[in-house]
Amino acid sequence: MTEPLSRRNFVKGVGAALAAGAAAPVLAACGSGSSGATATSGGKTTITFASAKFFAKSTIGQMVQLYNSSSKHVEVQYIELPTPSQSTQVHQQLVQSLSARDGSLDVFTGDIIWISEFAGAGWSAPLDSYFNASAKAAYFPGVIDACTYGGALHALPWYLDAGMLYYRKDLLQAAGIAVPTTWDELVTGAQKLLAAGKVSDGFNWQAKQAEVLVCDLVEFIGSNGGSVLAEDGKTVTIADPKAVEAVQFMADTFGKDKVTPRAVLSWDEEPSRMPFTGGQAAFLRNWSYVWSDAQDPTSSKVVDKVGVTTLPSFPGGKSTACLGGYQFGMNAASTKKSAAIDFLTWMSSPATQLRFATQLGLAPSRPSVYDQSALKAANPFMVSLRDVFTGGTPRPKTPKYSQVSLAIQAGVSAALATGNVQSNLSQVQSQIEQILG
Amino acid sequence: MTTTAKTRPGRSGGTESLPRGGRGDGSPRTGGHRGVAPRGKALLLVVPMLASLLAVSLYPVLRTIWLAFRNTSLEIQGDQFTGLANARHLAHDTIFAKAWRQTIEFTAVTTLAETLLGLAIALALARTFRGRGFVRAAVLVPWAIPTVVTSRMFSWLFDQNGLVNYVLVKLHLVSHAVNFLGSTSLALPTLMLADIWKTTPFMALLLLAGLQTISPTLAEAARIDGASAWRYFWRVRLPLLMPSLLVAALLRALDAFRVFDLPYVVTGGGPASSTETMSTYTYKTMFSGLELGYGSAMATAMFITEAIIAGVFALFIVRRLRQEG
Repeated sequence: MTEPLSRRNFVKGVGAALAAGAAAPVLAACGSGSSGATATSGGKTTITFASAKFFAKSTIGQMVQLYNSSSKHVEVQYIELPTPSQSTQVHQQLVQSLSARDGSLDVFTGDIIWISEFAGAGWSAPLDSYFNASAKAAYFPGVIDACTYGGALHALPWYLDAGMLYYRKDLLQAAGIAVPTTWDELVTGAQKLLAAGKVSDGFNWQAKQAEVLVCDLVEFIGSNGGSVLAEDGKTVTIADPKAVEAVQFMADTFGKDKVTPRAVLSWDEEPSRMPFTGGQAAFLRNWSYVWSDAQDPTSSKVVDKVGVTTLPSFPGGKSTACLGGYQFGMNAASTKKSAAIDFLTWMSSPATQLRFATQLGLAPSRPSVYDQSALKAANPFMVSLRDVFTGGTPRPKTPKYSQVSLAIQAGVSAALATGNVQSNLSQVQSQIEQILG
Repeated sequence: MTTTAKTRPGRSGGTESLPRGGRGDGSPRTGGHRGVAPRGKALLLVVPMLASLLAVSLYPVLRTIWLAFRNTSLEIQGDQFTGLANARHLAHDTIFAKAWRQTIEFTAVTTLAETLLGLAIALALARTFRGRGFVRAAVLVPWAIPTVVTSRMFSWLFDQNGLVNYVLVKLHLVSHAVNFLGSTSLALPTLMLADIWKTTPFMALLLLAGLQTISPTLAEAARIDGASAWRYFWRVRLPLLMPSLLVAALLRALDAFRVFDLPYVVTGGGPASSTETMSTYTYKTMFSGLELGYGSAMATAMFITEAIIAGVFALFIVRRLRQEG
């Protein structure tokens, strides 16, 4: 473990020598020397930060620059990974880097579903000694839950996304239908609008055999008070009565209730969104990106006709929103933890979160940021997400999440397509039990 | 390969066909020098090719087979020899069995359809008509588009709000939109249709090349002998085309067996794993689940199946070539 480190130091030493002597312009031009040069200049500690690529009015690189110019002791080198749409590649690169345990990476950002995996493998450092209970209380409880593995905080929240209900406020108003708070109300309202010929789809969601199916599942089951895995992360509860009831409802939306087209079985986000912004659907479960699509007059027929609210629930359950987004982690093998914590604290601070929200459109994970007038001025829609994130729920927390997810995708898709909910869910249960060993 | 290597030095002259003797007496004669060098030089020139072949082809295959007997996983950081544990797991993996069956079905249906349709198109294109060059180029367009792009296109075309349903409903062929991609019975046939649309032109081009090697004098001779066009096709063209046809079908079958982009983009393997193929399932296991060991066992099973398919074709091709003498 020390071997690569000493090699790194050696490279740095060479870099410093090169910078001092300015003897070898050829090597310096290669760029490798520059890292060593900045590491020693001004006595700053250099740490590396790897993150998937995000951009809008500003970029991650520019945010890092902002930190570097304000920090007296720490210099952050940003390693740009692919965009979150290529999350498999981002994951692979992080896993390769972290599993080497050589400390070549100090701070990173990762998808919320990788936190348990990284923690279980011992790659991400526990953060409880740096962030106490009151620091944690400043974030939405759901994201702190997602960042916690085995009772310890293993990631620091960055930004959030979650499932929410989009509805046609014009149609609901005209038909005298209240915004639904239960699934029954949603079905009744959708059937009413379908019968009146106002829309061709009542309620669109996603059931493609893909990750999004797990998200939708967590929301339906959660809103009935059920879960996929129990709190202990080992007991599989996906075939318990509450879960079965919720999955039966998912099947009923295109089965007996007929509010959803059967094509939902092949839909991920976009195919379900298109009929909605095309003015053909009454309700839509989707992520926050749909809002700006719906307000774009060049492609949307529902500009100013859309409302957003939390997803409905079953009687006795409460609205559940599946959490997405990237969060910060610190490499357990990092040798510059105090510098890394300084950077993390800055990145997750209210002021920086506000900047991420206004400059990059990334929704804050701290409720307090939503009270700031600057956010309301820059992005009024984002303010309404506060209620959605309050009901935020993580996906099953297990180090073997990716295998569990694949089993859920196949099993729940089979349950929905065949209608044999109980038997398919029991099968998924035994598969997950086998995976968790 | 061995026969050609042996005969080649012999062809250039009696004395030169004795490389050992030639090298042994070390005579300065230029002729003797030439006799030794080509062989040594030839071997030397072949070495980089062999080495790169071993590096990019044999090594990964052997490495995959080696991994198939281990529990290597990036997620749980395991890496131990587990013998046949992966194979046993595979034997009880119902989704794998399903994927295997579906991949075979996909391969059989698309290869057969693409060969027959490709043959029809090739026969049409082999005739001389105005604008033939343009038509030949245009036929290749579907094949030239990246599969990921056509896959996206197909998911729009066959969606319930897509063009295909729009046309079918307008023509009153169906009363309401057909659920092409969200139905366990239609999703795989729809993907087959997409693949046939995309790859038939490629087959047509391969077969056209085969048709053009058939001498036009044979057509003349057949006409003079009074053979009908139908008889000419069955008795002359098809038998002569057979070797190219078999090779083209072999290439196509091996390619179809690895189908990935279409199901991965359009259906994600669903619904209910009804469009899961060997490649998509292996990819998911290896790169999403990071189970390198178990994924390698799947890849090895794929490799064996492909070897069997290739073997069956090779049997036909060899028999065909023997018949021709």
